[in-house]
Amino acid sequence: MNDLDIAATGNSPCVQASVPEGRVWMRGDSYPENSFDFFAPIIEWIEAFLASRRPLALELELVYLNTSSVRAMMDVFDLLEEAHRDGVAVSVTWCYEAANERVGELAEEFREDCTFPFVVVSKS
Amino acid sequence: MIPDARDGDPPGDPLLDPAGDGQPDALVARVETLISLEPIGDPRPWRDTLSELYARYQVQQRLLDRLVRISDQFQLAERERGLDYARRYERKVRQLEKIVRISDRYQLMLTELNARLEFASTHDVLTGLTNRRSMSEQLDREVERASRNGSRFVVAIGDIDRFKTINDERGHAVGDRMLVRIAGTLRDNLREYDGCARWGGEEFLLLFPETPPDQAACVIDRLRAAIASMPPEGDLPPVTISIGYAIFEPGEAIDQTLLRADRALYAAKAAGRNCVRGG
Repeated sequence: MNDLDIAATGNSPCVQASVPEGRVWMRGDSYPENSFDFFAPIIEWIEAFLASRRPLALELELVYLNTSSVRAMMDVFDLLEEAHRDGVAVSVTWCYEAANERVGELAEEFREDCTFPFVVVSKS
Repeated sequence: MIPDARDGDPPGDPLLDPAGDGQPDALVARVETLISLEPIGDPRPWRDTLSELYARYQVQQRLLDRLVRISDQFQLAERERGLDYARRYERKVRQLEKIVRISDRYQLMLTELNARLEFASTHDVLTGLTNRRSMSEQLDREVERASRNGSRFVVAIGDIDRFKTINDERGHAVGDRMLVRIAGTLRDNLREYDGCARWGGEEFLLLFPETPPDQAACVIDRLRAAIASMPPEGDLPPVTISIGYAIFEPGEAIDQTLLRADRALYAAKAAGRNCVRGG
């Protein structure tokens, strides 16, 4: 499988996924016109990577998500949860600007129900 | 008496009609006959018939048992399928509720951001007063209202005296704090419906809607006096302000009014500063 490198646009985040590092990095706002099209390759990549049972770390710096992006991210976390229950080491680190406390609260909301390591970190 | 299919029983009863042809079974007929007879004479027809009946009964019983077992299994499977649907349904509902909750919060975040941006786009970042763009819109609205009602309003331009010297001699940080202080004094001495904006560097624009000129002049001079009598504060030097005002005349462009206010301001400066002139 290949690495992913999706550049940010005005309404979609920058996404990088590295096979050798076992890392997915997403940063920016997400309200793409077609969330399904945007997230499908990312979800596919994560599914394929998890099938190898290697550890995977998600590093998120997402700020605004529209409803279908919220749904897609929940699907991603469901995949991680499943892998975690299956004994695969997965983790999420969600960084947000300290000035934008709301984003931190939202990340906490996502974290609810997740039993794998999921930390919400404020950056000043 | 054993009822037969003719008496309204559902057709196809395997016990009474094993052939399934709707005709009364011969065995049943024989049993019925035997039952109706007095039990005398040779018992063999009884035994043979009952043995045959019993054997058929056993076959049917096994068939029935099997049917019941299969049917129970089907029911159990259906029930589990139902429970599974219910579980999956509940999970989806929970997921949906979470999406809605998170999405609502994102919307709230946008609303707040929108309010902040709205404030930022209409206010001066240093003094917190209305900015020039927002005041221009207020002036347009006031012109519209005045044109509708044939009413008049007063605009005034205040300019801090020798502000450049303060900036040059004491630095921009002091100049900035001075601007903030003067803005606060102006705001504190105005009525709620009066407008006060930072119009330029050290220029403030005051708007007095539906105010008679003499009353506005009175308020304007009070503002000037309030600035001149601000008590000393730290390293801020004493300061004064010159103010020129003009009355909007129905039918004219607001720029005309502002130009007269500006000329009046120059007249106030020329008259020695720390005073008010009307244009």
